[in-house]
Amino acid sequence: MVNVLQTRRKAWAGLPNSTRETVAFYVFMAPWITGMVMLFAVPLVATLVLSFTEWDLFRPATWVGLDNFEYLLFDARSDFWRAFGNTVYYAAVLVPLNLGLSLLFAVLLNQRIRFRRAFRTAFYLPSTIPIVAVVMLWSWLLAPSGLANSILSIVGIDGPAWLVDPGWIKNGLIIMGVWQLGGGVVLFLAGLQGIPRTLYDASTLDGAGPWRQFISVTVPMLSPIILFNLVTGVISALQVFSQVYIVTQGENPGATMLVPLVYSNAFQFSRMGTASAISVLFLLTIVILTAAILRWSRRWVHYESEV
Amino acid sequence: MDRNTAVRSADGRRARRTSRGASDRADRWPGYLRLPTYVILIIGAVLMVMPLLWMLSTSLADSKYATTFPPRFFPDTFDVTNYVEIFTNAGLGRYLFNSVVIVIPSMIGQVLASSMAGYALARLRAPGRRIWFVATLCTLMIPFEATIIPLFVMFRYFDWINTFWPLIVPQLLGSGYCVFLMRQFTMAIPAEYDEAGRLDGLGFFGIWRRIIVPLSAPAMATVAIFTFTAQWGNFLGPLIFISDPEKYPLAFGLYAMTQTSNVGQTPEWNLIMAGGMLLTVPMVLVYYFGQRMIYEGQNSLGRIRIS
Repeated sequence: MVNVLQTRRKAWAGLPNSTRETVAFYVFMAPWITGMVMLFAVPLVATLVLSFTEWDLFRPATWVGLDNFEYLLFDARSDFWRAFGNTVYYAAVLVPLNLGLSLLFAVLLNQRIRFRRAFRTAFYLPSTIPIVAVVMLWSWLLAPSGLANSILSIVGIDGPAWLVDPGWIKNGLIIMGVWQLGGGVVLFLAGLQGIPRTLYDASTLDGAGPWRQFISVTVPMLSPIILFNLVTGVISALQVFSQVYIVTQGENPGATMLVPLVYSNAFQFSRMGTASAISVLFLLTIVILTAAILRWSRRWVHYESEV
Repeated sequence: MDRNTAVRSADGRRARRTSRGASDRADRWPGYLRLPTYVILIIGAVLMVMPLLWMLSTSLADSKYATTFPPRFFPDTFDVTNYVEIFTNAGLGRYLFNSVVIVIPSMIGQVLASSMAGYALARLRAPGRRIWFVATLCTLMIPFEATIIPLFVMFRYFDWINTFWPLIVPQLLGSGYCVFLMRQFTMAIPAEYDEAGRLDGLGFFGIWRRIIVPLSAPAMATVAIFTFTAQWGNFLGPLIFISDPEKYPLAFGLYAMTQTSNVGQTPEWNLIMAGGMLLTVPMVLVYYFGQRMIYEGQNSLGRIRIS
């Protein structure tokens, strides 16, 4: 036994360095490569294939070509465009709002102020709360006779039925999203700490005020993180599901969104083919938007050096 | 490299500086901006924290109070009957147990898998490394929501529906964000340490185990906390993969409890808020004790480069 081990060890030591390093690389990567293949590559291909079929999980799937896409894109009963519009509205309002506010709060939190840590905790806290609890809480705050509306009634505004009225529900969901902006604040703060002091000193010598410094030093130096928050923000806003499902059970036309539509087609109506086709269109939206943002970012993202 | 970064990498203990607000590096603006800074921060912090206090105060109120209009911020009497009622509910202990059984292996698996992959991607030269890194970044773009149908089919084929496996196993294989975080953090560890280890006779596994793992503790803690957060609040996973109430994790179980208790009647907000508190308090504790680690861990993302 010992002999076998020794021979093995000798054989390993006898291999060229580069071979050993390659073997080690793939050993260390084995779990994650398995994950990428089993949880990403295979399901992606499978989604694409399923999107050309009609399948209820029990009877064998039948090939229907582009029928699912035709139904989604040209038949109003599919609700696809409504879901698409609502999702894009949600992302288009929430992402810039979150980006702007979290940048503002991060810059202010980076000042020499009292109770800095308490402030930082206050801004971060909501983003750590599980979505189920967030929805429980905000359903109560935004209930027709909840706290939000009774505060509004003090100043004479008759508050809407935030999470019931189809015309208001997206705004209610956006408020929940803004409340959870803390993750972005933390990343911006980390970035602000990394900006060399000397840049600010130099710009002060050149006579730049705080606003000028913000535009000419802070924003360019933070631009890689702005891009990162923008891309991850867009992707996570487009995939909104839990809050929509918990609030509406998929039954409010004002909040029909893409992932809830995937869910209802697949798991309530057993239309796996249609649901897969929505997933494909959803992924295409993400890929196109991300590519567009990355392309656009070349004009404004400033990299100091390679990683 | 600014002074703080140098200090951080040179002396692990000094790095804790970040958690002490006062010794943080901070900007100083001219005096006329101090008042607006405080005003904006205080308004923001109040809006962030008030909903949480509201959840706490409602959770301590009786049901008569919770339905009075206009709502009052402080109930006349505080009592804990809502918590007693939730805790004596037959399901709750079970849900909590299920959550623990799911969360702990997920955290351990995720930390190991992403640390190993991060080390390989940062340090080991092998053919294909660049491709696997790009593939890792691509998985960041693909939300779990877009591939749920094939995953459901796959897990059903494994006969895993109504078990914890579909919730745990994906976490044992790593995730794009965690692998990326670990890779970035490992890149920031000076390569001379590896070299010293090699001279002392450590192999690839030894270098990872004895050098990289101890030095990347903040990033590993961040990964563990993120995994905890994701699993503790997971909603879509249990919704799709688990239908047996005996197997619900806590967040989903509490959601189900509130669903069945409010059909056709005014929701019992005081009970629901107590449930929300139960989900929230562990997160607040985790982030309170882990915030130093999170800031440290994420600082490596402070110089992100994508595209």
